[in-house]
Amino acid sequence: MGALNERKAPAPPEDTVAELNLRLLKLEHRFQRERAARLHAEAIAEKGLRDLYERQQQLVLLETIATVANQSRSVEETLRVAVRAVCDHTGWSYGNAYRLATAGPPRLTPADVWHAADPDRLAPFIALNQQAEFVAGQGLPGRVLGSGRAAWIADVAEDDNFPRADAARACGLHAAFAFPVLVGHDVLGVLEFFHREPVSPDEQLLGVVGQIGTQLGRVVERRRAEDKLMHDASHDPLTGLPNRLLFVDRLERAVAAHRRRSELGFAVLFIDLDRFKLVNDSMGHAAGDDLLVQIAGRFGRVVSEARGADAAPLVATLARLGGDEFTVLLEDVGGEAAAIELAEALQETLRRPFQIEGQDIFTSASFGVASCAAGYAGADEIMRDADLAMYRAKAEGRARIEVFDQSLLADAKRRLATETDLRNAVRNKEFILHYQPIFALDGERLVGFEALIRWRRADGEIAPPSDFIGIAEETGLIVFIGQWVMQEAFATLAAWRSAYPEAGPVTMSVNVSPRQFHQPDFVGQVMAAVRSSGVDPSAVRLEITESVTIQDARRTKSILDELRAQGVRVSIDDFGTGYSSLSYLQQLSFDTLKIDRSFVTALKGAGGEEIVRTILDLARSLEMDVVAEGAETAAHVEQLREMGCGFAQGYFFARPLEREAAAALLAAASTPDPGAD
Amino acid sequence: MKGVVFNLLEEAVVREFGPDVWDDLLLRADLSGAYTSLGNYDDEEILALVEAASAALNLPRAEVLRWFGRRAMPILKERYGAFFERHASSKSFVLSVNSIIHPEVRKLYAGASCPFFHFREDAAGAVSMDYDSSRRMCDLAHGFVEGAADLFEETVDVSHAACMNHGDAKCVMEIRWAR
Repeated sequence: MGALNERKAPAPPEDTVAELNLRLLKLEHRFQRERAARLHAEAIAEKGLRDLYERQQQLVLLETIATVANQSRSVEETLRVAVRAVCDHTGWSYGNAYRLATAGPPRLTPADVWHAADPDRLAPFIALNQQAEFVAGQGLPGRVLGSGRAAWIADVAEDDNFPRADAARACGLHAAFAFPVLVGHDVLGVLEFFHREPVSPDEQLLGVVGQIGTQLGRVVERRRAEDKLMHDASHDPLTGLPNRLLFVDRLERAVAAHRRRSELGFAVLFIDLDRFKLVNDSMGHAAGDDLLVQIAGRFGRVVSEARGADAAPLVATLARLGGDEFTVLLEDVGGEAAAIELAEALQETLRRPFQIEGQDIFTSASFGVASCAAGYAGADEIMRDADLAMYRAKAEGRARIEVFDQSLLADAKRRLATETDLRNAVRNKEFILHYQPIFALDGERLVGFEALIRWRRADGEIAPPSDFIGIAEETGLIVFIGQWVMQEAFATLAAWRSAYPEAGPVTMSVNVSPRQFHQPDFVGQVMAAVRSSGVDPSAVRLEITESVTIQDARRTKSILDELRAQGVRVSIDDFGTGYSSLSYLQQLSFDTLKIDRSFVTALKGAGGEEIVRTILDLARSLEMDVVAEGAETAAHVEQLREMGCGFAQGYFFARPLEREAAAALLAAASTPDPGAD
Repeated sequence: MKGVVFNLLEEAVVREFGPDVWDDLLLRADLSGAYTSLGNYDDEEILALVEAASAALNLPRAEVLRWFGRRAMPILKERYGAFFERHASSKSFVLSVNSIIHPEVRKLYAGASCPFFHFREDAAGAVSMDYDSSRRMCDLAHGFVEGAADLFEETVDVSHAACMNHGDAKCVMEIRWAR
């Protein structure tokens, strides 16, 4: 307004001193106003420039930390960069980081990350902080932990919640601030900074460091997520134990370490629970899982308490490979002794029953041990061998500890090769039948044959059943082989009957394996073979060993009854070698009893005759025919005939014969004799 | 040279001798005299003004600079009080020049070439201050130290142990505060 008035004022009519003075005064006022305005404008501009500068510096700081936070995979490295960058940005003397303790009561512990422009001068304070711990509310870091917010102390010497005041003052530190590393509302760490001089709170700076805390929190969170992914990928979710992936990785490293330094020995334990399937099947999978978790817990305690020869804790990794299979890797052990000792301790811990759904469940495990002594090149080899040893333990009757040796591997390799060959043999029809004649002892008439399988291998060698029936039974190939035997034997019998009708009604015996017998449609398979051959069912004898009958007596009886209803006859084979009780024999209706060759061979010895006589008496009272096996001499035959044994087979009469030779025997016997069988 | 220094000089001259004397100095030095604190002006201009003052007052150039430094301090305090508040003594204030004051200057003037002072403090509390600048204005620094002592109502003695103006490679000032 003043300026306007001046302009409107009329010009003085004449220059008087007074008027000039007045004019000068006004000009001076105008000058003062302009000057004041300039100073004000400069002050505004300076403030703007200062703010802009600080803002830019803060952006540089945030960018520095954002860059490392995005690139670095290490929390520690990111913290280090952040502490350094905040010190550089603020010009403060010292920055230090704490992390939330992962174990024990919630508190902050040193993260071993700090920066100081002049560490020598601050050495006592830095050393103190490397040992310091803070619970929520305690001191500057504790305040931040408690509130989840940044805090500022203008001068630590005048703060009543700063336990380190004396040490800080001794190092010439006064102002301090701290901010949290935040994930959501959780404080995972705290960064604190100190300055040589007292400084009043800078809200803008606190805002910036708050953002830094959030950035750092993201790094921690990402790292945690990565760690969790890694953990999940390498651990069994049910028991929390390392899984196969992690176990194999550690084993590979142990193998490599042993190759570098042979004194770094290791051993592997394979553990398979005995009859775990029973729990799963009878009580359900939840019960099975519960049992596995409890077993993992007991095993874990045993492994962690295990001590080596020098009483030092063993370096051991307990893992769950899957199902009911556990493994332990022992590192830095001399050999298998430590593994055997541990296996014994693990076995011992299974002796107490497990409480599953209110029931006491007893379990045991089979253990296989393999050690570095065999000079392994890789984890797969040692795992294979420990597994083989474990299978041996199972095969030897469970709840055992077996140590791998080379013969196990040779056995396994041989079995595997045989299995492959056997599969080819089934496909290529490499089997043949030999026929051993059976004679009636009154008059020594030919009454039948027992079909015996042979394997004519690719190299022309004829392999006896003992070489391959076990594996065929194990692999299930026996079902195919057994079916072929029936078809072939019955067809042969049909051909012979039409070729030599005068030879009389001879029978054909075939051996039936346990697995074959327990096929769901066994009777149907037998009858199909009988029908397609056209033989009379009553000419067929199925030879069944005692081991077949004891598995499930009721079912065995129903199958036998069904077969007999169809006219097929059944024999109990190798009688006396199994465990069958007399009551079984009475329950199950067999037509024929075959005395095992061992009793015939022992006829001459002490008590030999009594045993055979007892068997014969038994058969007689059960109204069964008896065929003695292994009749090798005239004396055998004479003795058996005298004791009233009806039939016999053995080298005295004939070895098992090829088809043509057997046919020739039939041709020779082709004199009509209606009283046969 | 930063405009603020011209402003300070003008303020000091006007306060002590009045605005006409400042106008005279500008005339003598043949300068326009339009300086804003935010601007940056030729070093020659401040030297010309100091020369003009030296001639007008019949004082050596060094004396003029020292006088200026001493008189500038209260004005600085008026404008930038925050730099002074946190100090209890002029020594503490002087020692903060590198770490606080010059960084603040750089916030306002990107790329400002502030001199760097090396300080050494002896056991008795005396401070030895090295100054190395092509402007050779050690006397201005000397005056600033005296002005700071005035503000904190202290007595200080500054002596030039070495001086670029006397052929030395750098200036070394010994500063002693009276107890």
